[in-house]
Amino acid sequence: MELRRASELDTGGATPIAGGTEVVPLVRAGLLRPAELVDVRGVVPRGVEDGTIGAGTTLAELEREPSIPAALREACRLAASPQIREMGSLGGNLLQATRCWYWRLGWECRLHGGDRCFARDGEHREHAIFANGYCASAHPSDVAAALLALDATVVTTRRELPVGELYHVPAGDDRRTTTLEAGELIVSVRVPAADASVYLKAGGRKLFSFPLVGVAAARTGGSTRIALAGVAPVPWLHSGSFAAASPLPRNAYKVELAEALVRRALAALA
Amino acid sequence: MARLIRTEKEVEGRYEEVFVVVEEDALDQWPAGPRDVVGRPATRVDGLERARGQAVFTADLKLPGMLHAAVLRSPHAHARVARLDLAPALELPGVHAAIGPGDAGVLQRDCGFQGAPVAAVCAATPAQARAAVAAIDVEWEELAAVLDAEEAVAAGHVHGEARVRERGDVEAGFAAADVVVEGEYRTQVVLHNSLETHQAVVQWLGDTLEVHISTQYVWGVRRDIAATLGIPADKVRVVCTYMGGGFGSKNDPGDYTFVAIELARRTGRPVRCALSRREENVVSGNRNATIQRLRIGAKADGTLTALEGEYVNAVGFDGWSSPVEGPMNQLYACPNVRTVTHAAKTNQPPMKAFRAPGFVEGTFGLEALLDVLAARLELDPLELRRRNHAASEPLDGRSYSGKNLLECYRRAEPHWERRHEVRARSTATVKRGVGMASQVWYGGGGPPSYAWVRVGADGRATVVTAMQDIGTGSRTAMAQIAAEELGIPLEHVTVSLGDTARGPFASISAGSSTIPSMGPAVRAAAADARRQIEEIAEQMGKTGAPVAEVVSVLESGQILGKGARGPNPAGLQVLTFGVQVAEVAVDVETGEVWVERIAAVHDVGRVINPLGASSQIEGGIVQGIGHTLSEHRLDDPASGVVLTTGLDAYKLPTIADVPEIVGELVDVPDAQLTNLGSKGLGEPPIVPTAAAIANAIRDATGAEVHELPISREELLRALREARERERVGAPAGV
Repeated sequence: MELRRASELDTGGATPIAGGTEVVPLVRAGLLRPAELVDVRGVVPRGVEDGTIGAGTTLAELEREPSIPAALREACRLAASPQIREMGSLGGNLLQATRCWYWRLGWECRLHGGDRCFARDGEHREHAIFANGYCASAHPSDVAAALLALDATVVTTRRELPVGELYHVPAGDDRRTTTLEAGELIVSVRVPAADASVYLKAGGRKLFSFPLVGVAAARTGGSTRIALAGVAPVPWLHSGSFAAASPLPRNAYKVELAEALVRRALAALA
Repeated sequence: MARLIRTEKEVEGRYEEVFVVVEEDALDQWPAGPRDVVGRPATRVDGLERARGQAVFTADLKLPGMLHAAVLRSPHAHARVARLDLAPALELPGVHAAIGPGDAGVLQRDCGFQGAPVAAVCAATPAQARAAVAAIDVEWEELAAVLDAEEAVAAGHVHGEARVRERGDVEAGFAAADVVVEGEYRTQVVLHNSLETHQAVVQWLGDTLEVHISTQYVWGVRRDIAATLGIPADKVRVVCTYMGGGFGSKNDPGDYTFVAIELARRTGRPVRCALSRREENVVSGNRNATIQRLRIGAKADGTLTALEGEYVNAVGFDGWSSPVEGPMNQLYACPNVRTVTHAAKTNQPPMKAFRAPGFVEGTFGLEALLDVLAARLELDPLELRRRNHAASEPLDGRSYSGKNLLECYRRAEPHWERRHEVRARSTATVKRGVGMASQVWYGGGGPPSYAWVRVGADGRATVVTAMQDIGTGSRTAMAQIAAEELGIPLEHVTVSLGDTARGPFASISAGSSTIPSMGPAVRAAAADARRQIEEIAEQMGKTGAPVAEVVSVLESGQILGKGARGPNPAGLQVLTFGVQVAEVAVDVETGEVWVERIAAVHDVGRVINPLGASSQIEGGIVQGIGHTLSEHRLDDPASGVVLTTGLDAYKLPTIADVPEIVGELVDVPDAQLTNLGSKGLGEPPIVPTAAAIANAIRDATGAEVHELPISREELLRALREARERERVGAPAGV
């Protein structure tokens, strides 16, 4: 496996790596077997200017950034550990894979090309309560939920798209979890200002825990958007009701947890 | 005079009768209270070495020409190797040897649990060894696995007969009760997760085998290797100078050592075999899951009339049935007690001892149900425990060598009194409360254990004994004891340990036994040296002169003292006691728990190093918080395969989960126990933590938790149940 530094945003098909907090564990686990890694930290913008955040900006920089909405700052602060936040980039965070233990252990599940979701029939207490019929994996990004609530726009090397459209609920005909094409790189994220925003998180311990449930809420003008982390295979835009939730036998508690956090988030915005 | 005695030896609650040669322990105990060195806080004598990275752990050791081993382990809970071909592994670059079933006793075709070792290779680098293991051509025949502990017991898949303990007449006791409460409690599988994974580096030097290993018992490893290989024990040298955690999981050689031995024999090179973190979290042992069905009967004034417990230890494929029923049998005075403990044999990785095995789990169930009883009787939980205090060992009426549990309760009062103020800080959604739990556990140590003390003309002393410091600070404590007895400064004492070729036999570091087993031997050795120095001083006409002045005439000569651990007091029960008071905040909408403060008061006899002792209290409580709130080995229910093999999924507590910890020790020497009066503190602090937290949650919210860990799911369930109870119980029309 080769590692080289990128001199331009076109990585020529090589797997991009920035902080390495996701790519390195995936390579170690044998889940990612890139022929070539290309360090994009020299070419992907880093820093915040007029509501546009360079995809190379670290979570640690964002948690201290006063100009961005509170929900995003909080989502960064509550993610991972201080060490990981110092290294992990915004772009990498948005593209991280699920923490589903079956997927991480390389079981031949639907996301790995198999024909079963082991979590649905098995151990799924940290898994999805929405859109979990095909694959019960839960999306782990606190930051993505915050950006979804804030209605942010992702700028790639090829296009601009609403952050929600970056993600894809895996299904039989298309098992991808993101819509990013081969060789396409996230360059920056535009985050509109919000009148008020908040991110609340429930984890398995006080720090260094992926969200069991994360709730981001943002109020702009008269409208409020709510997005959830850890409840679906993708960051989940909340409809306002949990009637559509389809919890599995051992994760119904997540519905109760999410309802409580949504109530609390709305109260915080009022 | 040397004396042969037959004595009961206890480790982790398991007793065996052994013959030991002991010497009379002729020394009087020091008076209670801090001495010049003993009883005063001492920073670790090896602290700087550790902080600077100079301490060489087994994981750091690099021997010239050393090869790295990796092990092919069963990926299935129950499987047979249908076909195995090592040839593809041998063809890979860097590979020196490969072994399979038949080549080493630990390698087998029939695998009764995930992680069972089947084959192994050694190569120039760890990565080459791993690649070679992956290349082994193996075909598995999967077999039906037994995974449910209760089904296993019902089907007779057990490790031996159920253990029954009975005293009095339990049914009569329940008939005489004014109130009977019952409950089912479950505890999960938790993993030791030592920072240094299980590993050994071995080399053959002629016909002598040198084994560097991360272990809690160098002598036990030596014995087991010699027995397995059929070679004299003095041809096996076992070394463990620094050690990165064991918690009970490193008492034996383990498969990795035997793999390394065979590969070293075949290659003529030193071989390291180290478990990866993922292997560590599958096969290095665990605190097994338990199921506890408990019943308590009491009079209206709280006097216990009957205790009954049916326990299931989900032992796994191998291991032993930990004394989960111990607290019910031994914590309180109650004339009628019956416990039955089943040991389920399942196709899951074997358990190993884990810091007070059985008592941690059993205390959770018993003490949680006792608080339910206190609520039913409208009695103060602390008062309920006082009323049932056992003045002698409830099992057999033996007197205690020393017991200061009532003093622990007394010292816990100011912490317990805080509950009113703590509860008052509750809000609509965050409820606060205080809970307590008592602790009983072993920790008396025993013979045989020996030490030597060497004093040179420079007045400096070296303690020589082949014990091991497993990270608890034993080096420092032994240096303090020797310095105290010799009357020299602590920094003039060096401790040489961790090598069976350099020093006499010493105790296992398990069962909270290092200080109570080794401390008296070290003191006896130092006293023997001191006696000789005093005799010389008298001949020099310098009676009472400082040690350094007397020995300065020795030039190259040395004073050699030797000492042995004397017998345990005949006919007396030696135990440790304590109480913890936990303060928690509970978010009743999200099930989040903040442990805000834990006060721990323990009675372990004389304290040698108050600083080291406070570390043990803090460490035990932090590990206990992980056990209570976040740690949980999860297995796939269909296949039994472990899912939480990484530290992302297996949630150890981090510093953010750690509350204010206030540790107190009664620090009164046990007058009956050895020349020190000290017991061990390695395990007691983890025993009551889960129960104290669960009881605090109950105090705060009314929620009765029945499972560890107290996850969001479990707590939200318990909160719902409490609300329902309140609604049903509320008077009509309200």
